[in-house]
Amino acid sequence: MENGTESIKHAPLPTEKTLRSRRNLPFQLWRFAAINIKMIKMIRRGHH
Amino acid sequence: MARVVVMGAGIAGHTAALHLKRILKKSDEVIVVSPNSKYNWIPSNIWVGVGKMNKSQVTFPLAPVYKRKKITFHQALATAVHPAGDSQISSPYIEVTYTDSNKNGTSAKIEYDYLINATGPKLNFAATEGLGPDGHTVSVCTSDHAIEAAHSLKAVIAKMKAGQKQTLVIGVGHGTCTCEGAAFEYTFNVEHELKQAGVRDLAEIIYLTNEYELGDFGVGGLIFTQHGFQTTSKLWTESLFRERNIHAILGAHVEKIEAGLIHYELVDGTKGTLSFDFAMLLPPFRGVDMKAFEKDGSDISAEIFAPSGFMKVDADYSGKPYEEWLASDWPNTYQVPKFPNVFAVGIAFAPPHQISKPRKSPNGTLVAPSPPRTGMPSGIMGKVAAVNIATLIKSGNGAKVRSASMADMGAACVASAGSGLRKGSAASMTMYPVVPDYMKFPTTGRSIDDTFGEIGLAGHWIKLLLHYMFIYKAKARFGWFLIPE
Repeated sequence: MENGTESIKHAPLPTEKTLRSRRNLPFQLWRFAAINIKMIKMIRRGHH
Repeated sequence: MARVVVMGAGIAGHTAALHLKRILKKSDEVIVVSPNSKYNWIPSNIWVGVGKMNKSQVTFPLAPVYKRKKITFHQALATAVHPAGDSQISSPYIEVTYTDSNKNGTSAKIEYDYLINATGPKLNFAATEGLGPDGHTVSVCTSDHAIEAAHSLKAVIAKMKAGQKQTLVIGVGHGTCTCEGAAFEYTFNVEHELKQAGVRDLAEIIYLTNEYELGDFGVGGLIFTQHGFQTTSKLWTESLFRERNIHAILGAHVEKIEAGLIHYELVDGTKGTLSFDFAMLLPPFRGVDMKAFEKDGSDISAEIFAPSGFMKVDADYSGKPYEEWLASDWPNTYQVPKFPNVFAVGIAFAPPHQISKPRKSPNGTLVAPSPPRTGMPSGIMGKVAAVNIATLIKSGNGAKVRSASMADMGAACVASAGSGLRKGSAASMTMYPVVPDYMKFPTTGRSIDDTFGEIGLAGHWIKLLLHYMFIYKAKARFGWFLIPE
């Protein structure tokens, strides 16, 4: 009775290019920096 | 000289104790009471649960840190609070029972001027028959549980290597559980490990959750911008499930677990069973077993604690319908209204309502993910309680104190989806605020600019960085206070 199956079945699949980019070292280094900046910005906003 | 007692040495309590010691005068005393001798960086238990880390990498003894910081440590379980003292002791005090090898079982009374309740949750395995390490499933809530989970996982991998198909069920073991994010993480870490072991094709992985939709995470899901479109954590999570071929059972309340068989009810009232070879199901939480007494000895537990056992603070507990709740109903200072020198932070405070919409099955079964208040929000609450206590000690009870409402606080969550410096991945998410505020952000309840999600190797590096950074901070090493909560 897997009631989540239908919606999972219709979810978008990442393309080969997206999957590669998720492991591409230079791109991920850039994302590492970008995500950290986003998180720091959000943390600053949330700290009192 | 003031004395501040902190009950609990998890993220909220430990953070509060370290900051108190840093801010207060040398003559002020900070006392920590915790039944555990070790600090556990719980977010990394996921990796212990798949055998990628050992216990010593996620825990460390508390006593040496407290000795170095001149914090008094009692390895003891707090059992009762007397916020107005009693006929013999005029000061407020708590009752404790020691758990260390020297004084094990003996009791004591510890007086305080200010009290922080950061006792965290009681892991309520008893809520579901057969749930937990004493039943038929494993857990990753403590490092010891995670070690047991890793052993069980190793055993099913060995069976698959011998050619046997196995069903692995991962999720939550009750309709009112929280921490769906941890179950999500463990699901994808297990999938990753099975792939690494070369047995993925022999495993069926089923995510069993009380969430009504994937990507809910107990916070009602997220909406964020990606490639110029607003998207949802639902779509994003479903995509990951499809990519990794993981099945899902949603809106489920687990009723009972027998050896190899889970009985559950869905929010639409249908009942089902699920066979399993391996099951990691998180338990629901409730407040720790603690009583509260008035000066005359009368039991005021029902006034101080919610029916869930969590401590009632400066929130609106009037029980309005879900649709009528406002962000402003959430607590600001975490002080107990009747006893403002008592604070409850982290998981220990009673949330005024669910963030995810609670639902009931036609049979009356509640399926309602509880609000997460672990990790970053816990740390922030602990720090703000410490700062506020320092302010009250310095400037008196009328002093203006800071607010740390979860409706004005962001959270970063990095959900590991597999470890490895080159092959790992994680879903990095941020949200602001944790509790949606539809007055401030009418469209989605949260700031679109500060809410986002992304999957990739970078997320794994961030999760690893957070592991080392927060253990460094918890050990109160040089400059620890510069690392934000």
